Amino acid sequence: MKQKITFKRLQDIPPVAISMGMMLWNKTGTWRYLRPKYTVKTPPCNEACPAGNDIEGFMALVTEGKLQEAWELIKEENPFPGVCGRVCFHPCESSCNRREYDEALSIQAVERLIADSHFKMKRQKHPPKLQRKERIAVIGSGPAGLTCSYHLARMGYGVTVFESYSSPGGILRIGIPEYRLSKSVLDHEISEIQSWGVEIKTNAHIGKDVAFEDLKKYRAIFIATGAHRSRSLNIEGERLEGVVAGLEFLRRIHMGEKVTPGERVVVIGGGNVAVDVARSAWRLGAKKIQMVCLESKDRMPAFPEDIAETEAEGILVLPSAMPLRITPDLGKVKKLEFIRAKLGEPKPDGSLNPIPIPGTEFSLEADSVITAIGEVPDLSFLPEDVSIKKGFIEADEMGFVHPEGYFGGGDAIHPYHTVAGAIGSGKRAALAIHEYLQGGWSREKFRIIQVGQKGTISVKKYFHPPEGETNPPVVLFKDIKTDYFEHQPRVGISKLSIDERVNSFREIHSGLGQEEAKEEANRCFNCGVCNGCDNCWIYCPDLAVKRKNDRYEIDYDYCKGCGICFEECPRSAILLEEEGR
Amino acid sequence: MKTVIEGSHAVSYGVMLSRVQVIAAYPITPQTHIVERLSELCASGELPARFLKVESEHSAMASCIGASAVGARAFTASSSQGIALMHELLHWASGARLPIVMANVNRALAAPWNIWCDQIDSLSQRDTGWLQFYCESSQEALDTVLQSFKISERVLLPSMVVLDAFYLSHTYEPVDIPDRERVDKFLPPYEPKFKIDPKDPKSFSSMTAPDIFTEMRYQMQQSMEQAKSVILEVDEEYQRLFGRGYRMIEAYRCEDAEVVLVTTGTVTSTSREVIDHYREEGKAIGLLKIRTFRPFPSEDVRKKLKGISKIAVIDRNISFGVGGIFAEELRSALCNEDERPMVFSFIAGLGGRDITQETIANVIEYTLEQDQPKEDILWPDLKR
Repeated sequence: MKQKITFKRLQDIPPVAISMGMMLWNKTGTWRYLRPKYTVKTPPCNEACPAGNDIEGFMALVTEGKLQEAWELIKEENPFPGVCGRVCFHPCESSCNRREYDEALSIQAVERLIADSHFKMKRQKHPPKLQRKERIAVIGSGPAGLTCSYHLARMGYGVTVFESYSSPGGILRIGIPEYRLSKSVLDHEISEIQSWGVEIKTNAHIGKDVAFEDLKKYRAIFIATGAHRSRSLNIEGERLEGVVAGLEFLRRIHMGEKVTPGERVVVIGGGNVAVDVARSAWRLGAKKIQMVCLESKDRMPAFPEDIAETEAEGILVLPSAMPLRITPDLGKVKKLEFIRAKLGEPKPDGSLNPIPIPGTEFSLEADSVITAIGEVPDLSFLPEDVSIKKGFIEADEMGFVHPEGYFGGGDAIHPYHTVAGAIGSGKRAALAIHEYLQGGWSREKFRIIQVGQKGTISVKKYFHPPEGETNPPVVLFKDIKTDYFEHQPRVGISKLSIDERVNSFREIHSGLGQEEAKEEANRCFNCGVCNGCDNCWIYCPDLAVKRKNDRYEIDYDYCKGCGICFEECPRSAILLEEEGR
Repeated sequence: MKTVIEGSHAVSYGVMLSRVQVIAAYPITPQTHIVERLSELCASGELPARFLKVESEHSAMASCIGASAVGARAFTASSSQGIALMHELLHWASGARLPIVMANVNRALAAPWNIWCDQIDSLSQRDTGWLQFYCESSQEALDTVLQSFKISERVLLPSMVVLDAFYLSHTYEPVDIPDRERVDKFLPPYEPKFKIDPKDPKSFSSMTAPDIFTEMRYQMQQSMEQAKSVILEVDEEYQRLFGRGYRMIEAYRCEDAEVVLVTTGTVTSTSREVIDHYREEGKAIGLLKIRTFRPFPSEDVRKKLKGISKIAVIDRNISFGVGGIFAEELRSALCNEDERPMVFSFIAGLGGRDITQETIANVIEYTLEQDQPKEDILWPDLKR
């Protein structure tokens, strides 16, 4: 104390027991043995997103109505918000902590709204700040190839993409039916990528139109040719007229060819391509469509919500059956024979191991048969020195391929079978190529740019490493103070009725309105990230939490370390550590 | 113009007209209607106050303390167990010199459970340093809320406005709700001399050593003393503006009385009729209504009862081991007088039992008949 005040007379004493001087000299922070600290943790959605989107970040921007900023934030990681907002299998929603409270956030729908609102905005040109002299060749313009190209272009590299088909997009264009992803959305996002200076050469099939040797003038080659070869059934009658591979069927539709599957269609397979095929056939006028697969219904690889939609469209799913033979009628397919089967332990190579149940044979009649039992890469165009293992290009987690200068991504290196997975691998390869060309790659760098523990990475983190912990822990539901959140169901998404879908490839789902998206984003817990909710500021009994630039800082001169801010932070964005004294 | 409203709502409108800024409340029968109406008035925007829903009466008073400490006009209402739960904070509110106003609807304390009228809840808090006013009518309750804020803010002590459960709280009476403009003139915004202000940080109510604690307690007692004149000044001003005044006590037809009946709360109204009846019969019976219990109006009581030989005190409460609390306070106010009345102490109407005209007549008859009470505690409505 600076001076001792002695009361001599009654009238000197104030009626209220109050200190007579300033008390700021009394630095009560010295009493502290626990120290609260603002932190940024990893939201589980961000960890779950294979494309590495900062989902929590764009949700926070949407609540403020900042759609342009939200779009830019997504584009730092992922050039395809419009595509992912429609076709992603949204593992983010399965990981959403809100799921344990009421319902997961409708993340995909919000992402779509962000992308769709950008379509209406004025187009911007994005010349990269830095023009590097190195040029990179990318084989394949699917989600992996274009994502890699996009990030390389943003880093200033010259990129040429070689696409065998007449228009770019790979599986996005020829594999995903329009009722799930409209061509205009794809065109928009590809043209966005091109605006960064990415050159796309179409009708440039490596090994046919362009010699692989010609690519050697590029400083690096990224191979992302996908998995476009349909696996064969290896049964009698597979070569008959009227039997077609699933991807080929979808490709013909996309190329505008006249496709007439007939009245009765049998689809063999239980994955996403099989579902897309069956639903496309239905839209082309097939009356009776039956999907037959080896797996039991709960083990079908297609996404459950898509299976439900398939059945809603009147398509019959026949699980646990194995095709035996296809018999002709005037050279065209007529009859298919099946036997019921259950799945045994997978074979050593990981493939399905059906065990037929004797005496359960049955047959179906069909005008056409479409097979979709899996797609594998066609790597016949590659020179022999590129190492291949079990049908895939052998690549490490960043996409490095032997020999030096080669990189791989997408379904050509790993059976991702998801757009987001391909986008993630394209991103990793872009950074791998950059590091390779700049001459300094290390495992440590990979560790730093990871988001959580599921292998997803952040380009933003690579260029702007965060202060403090590089890969902080993921926030669990138990870390959320749910008292601060009201129960609210997730936003409903309207879709076309079954009647409206007949004979039409119109997009089934409609997007959210801006207000709906804002309301949905307001449901976000913002796990582990301060959103300026003021709780710490309100509760601090020592007024030691100060507001600073919409966020807060702690005045450690007066923070006694009571931990109330830590306890009352709804989203676990404050740590409480032992004081290091 | 008068409006027919419930007694509880008379309090609510008094609070609204006082432009209270913070209301923190927890429901308890029979008080709930007061804060229920206030919550509606807050929701509709008629009363632009922060209404805090809290998890207990302890928190309600703690919130009022916080609000008052930063200079806001604060109000709460409670009853019975709720007041009991607030106990330590009642001391805090007065010790911190915070002019909070609380309505207490008198209700018995458990066990056994009883939700009806009994004064023990507020009287148990007599040593907490709160002013206490016992109201006879809904009109008086409304007027007393307005007066209490003014008095409390002048003497820096909190006030309790006390109403009888159900007899007053749940009964509809015509009440004059004063004009807002005139109330604003009577009760300007609270301007605290001392308040918590982050721009001028100070320490409040921290450890106070023996060298000045006595002086601080002396000051509180001085403020209680000062309150007696402030209550009268404020009441006179109120009388001038609104035509109604209540004083600390009221003597009714006490001239040359042989016996003076002493009452509080709604029993007073019933007693007025009984007194009128006796007077019509030519019997000199008077009535003394005690409205202010803290500060206790000792001087006024001594003056009014000078020359009276017997008083009959009806207590709707009992301090076990002694008797009726009002009788006790009166004895203590009178004991040093040379000429002092004989004090007859009657316990009646506990836990909501009706104090009927018959009960009151029995009390008066007994007092008239006896020179001095046969027992220290008399039970006129006890089932024997």
